[in-house]
Amino acid sequence: MMTMINTFLATKGIYFLTLVLLALGVAGIIVCNNYMKKLICMNVMQVAVIFFFLCLGQKSPGTIPVAMDTAVKASQYINPLPHGLMLTAIVVSLGTTGVGLSLLLRIREKYGTIEEDDLIRREDLMTRKNKDGGDRK
Amino acid sequence: MRKTITVILLIISVLVPFMAFDVLPVIGDPQSAPNTHVSDYYIENAIEECNSPNMVTAVIVDYRAFDTMFETTVMFLAGLSVVIILANKPKRRIPAHSSLRRMKDAGGRPIYKTVNKDVMISVIEPVILIYAIYVLFHGEVSLGGGFQAGALIGMTYLLDIMVVKRDRPIFDIPKARAAAIAGFGPLIYALTGIVTILGGGLYLEYNKIPLPIHHAELHSIGITAVEIGVTIGVAGTIITILNALMERISFDDDND
Repeated sequence: MMTMINTFLATKGIYFLTLVLLALGVAGIIVCNNYMKKLICMNVMQVAVIFFFLCLGQKSPGTIPVAMDTAVKASQYINPLPHGLMLTAIVVSLGTTGVGLSLLLRIREKYGTIEEDDLIRREDLMTRKNKDGGDRK
Repeated sequence: MRKTITVILLIISVLVPFMAFDVLPVIGDPQSAPNTHVSDYYIENAIEECNSPNMVTAVIVDYRAFDTMFETTVMFLAGLSVVIILANKPKRRIPAHSSLRRMKDAGGRPIYKTVNKDVMISVIEPVILIYAIYVLFHGEVSLGGGFQAGALIGMTYLLDIMVVKRDRPIFDIPKARAAAIAGFGPLIYALTGIVTILGGGLYLEYNKIPLPIHHAELHSIGITAVEIGVTIGVAGTIITILNALMERISFDDDND
């Protein structure tokens, strides 16, 4: 049993950790009441996916993917493809975070809060007030 | 109630993939599926075909140049949408958090827990900028590239905003103008592709750039031009997002 756990951790354990990170992000998005925290949890999810891809690019005796005279075979370098893909993913996650923050600012300016419960209550109040105003006209 | 159901569902969804772990490759296995097919080709041919010892740069701006072009466009569109979302004039700025407002100096003026202005502007920022330029132009030979250089230049602007008072900025780039600067990045990228078409090749086929030099040098020139475009796009977008968000928030030392 112990050896089984050891082999699992040595060979596949890191996938489990990325899975836990992803689950933490999803849990945060569902459970948190504050929209700012939801945005942070979305970033945690993105980081989990990036870690997962980087795990796939590992090779045991490999070095960084910059060509050297001493190493000529493909098995001596780690896989450059996940690194390239995740480099762009990181930068795009910066863009999505920026758009999310600007949406949060607009919500804060219109309703005065970014807590979900308060927001729903105030939205109800505003629609009721608008309906009353419409009746009076 | 919502929290309990969520936690139960998440525990199930973490435990179920234990059965699927057999499918995933062993960490560090050189013979696994992601490490064999196309990645070996990239590693073995990057130097001859792209004249780029850094294989990550060869992959993102030569073999997969279209991908990177549209990622840069996505960055530009993100900056543009931030400008559009925050286009209206706010009635009043959102005040900074109260924990930032408590500290006062001897004269009763508010001070923030910031870094020293003289050290920041005269010592650290030039180093960051030199490093950004190095990473940009050396990105195809050693570690680095356009995205990192753009992020470094954007961070320099962030440091300026952090340490200098807002009514006396060193560089003043309004958000709309910064978005316009960011738009030049994808433009340079696309123009590089058009130049290669004029030279008789396909779009972004760097060794058809109409210059009378060796094709390896042409690849270097193409990669550098594209990286400059990426750098301008990323730096402009970071500055756009930063300015658009910062002009909505008021601090104690603002005069207006």
